[in-house]
Amino acid sequence: MASLCRQIIRGNAFKSVILSNARRGFADKMMPDPLEHATGLEKKELLALQSGDDDPFNMKVLKKKAGTKDMPTLVPSCFDARIVGCICDEHATAINWLWLHKGHPRRCECGHWYKLIEKTPL
Amino acid sequence: MTNMNNHPYHLVDYSPWPLTGAIGTLTLVTGMVKWFHNFNMNLLILGYMITLLTMFQWWRDICREGTFQGKHTMLVSKGLRWGMILFIISEVFFFLSFFWAFFHSSLSPNIEIGSMWPPMSITPFNPFQIPLLNTIILITSGVTVTWAHHALMENNFSQTSQGLFITIMLGIYFSILQAYEYLEAPFTISDSIYGSTFFMATGFHGLHVIIGTLFLLICLIRHMNNHFSMNHHFGFEAAAWYWHFVDVVWLFLYISIYWWGY
Repeated sequence: MASLCRQIIRGNAFKSVILSNARRGFADKMMPDPLEHATGLEKKELLALQSGDDDPFNMKVLKKKAGTKDMPTLVPSCFDARIVGCICDEHATAINWLWLHKGHPRRCECGHWYKLIEKTPL
Repeated sequence: MTNMNNHPYHLVDYSPWPLTGAIGTLTLVTGMVKWFHNFNMNLLILGYMITLLTMFQWWRDICREGTFQGKHTMLVSKGLRWGMILFIISEVFFFLSFFWAFFHSSLSPNIEIGSMWPPMSITPFNPFQIPLLNTIILITSGVTVTWAHHALMENNFSQTSQGLFITIMLGIYFSILQAYEYLEAPFTISDSIYGSTFFMATGFHGLHVIIGTLFLLICLIRHMNNHFSMNHHFGFEAAAWYWHFVDVVWLFLYISIYWWGY
């Protein structure tokens, strides 16, 4: 009997409160997916972040590789050349700036090699 | 060399609004001087029209750039945030100068005003009547704007509009009550230093409430036009920051000018 009552109450409560409210349009209207809402460069940035690229505009300081001639630090650029600022050692008080051109790996005064690699713009 | 870019900065297009804005404000100030001297408002009204049209179209362009052209990357948004923070800080110092004038005059009242505060024969407002109601209204509006913000962050369209709508209504209610109190005031801005500091501080606060209400109203209209998403709504956040600032200024006004100065 108790379970029957519970069924009746639950069933009616569900119908009258939840369903009818939704039918009458009382349920909250939700907004679309924010990624679908975005456009242009903003969307490209969001998509890049989603795909695991946390630096889509190459704004962060590059992690240095071995820096030998065979294993240079790779510098991405959408252009034919990019200025590199070499922090020659961790205690360096000045940055060594050098132009790096496509197809011409370059060696900093400290001996570290850099190479320009092509990157398609976002 | 490609001519494509790979940077997150927003290089703005050429825009006529800085020029029309300069012309508008020049006309506005010249028109105000003309009004003061000749009692003729024509140039002032022209100045208002040019300035208001500039404001409308400049901000409309910013909405378009952010919402429909996707120009507001994270870095651009960060710049907008800093801009709003610095703007509000400058406003804090603006109000600080009014409070300075108030405390300068009230903490050691001159012989000319009877060496007392409120000055001799000034009847101030009872702080536990309309001003207390106004305090409650503004604190409540702070709650409802937070409700709208959380609804927005949870993707809830309906509750964002409801929260914003109630906040705007409370803002309008506050302005109406302040206007009513100004009409009923037993002293004027020319009644001693009391009237001067009182109407300067509360008047500028009232102006800020009206600006904040308009800012929130624009947010509601933009929300109704689906300009916002759960992670792209800085216009709303800036309006909410501004509203909280106006709210906090009122608390200081209430405590020092209305209550302590009663």
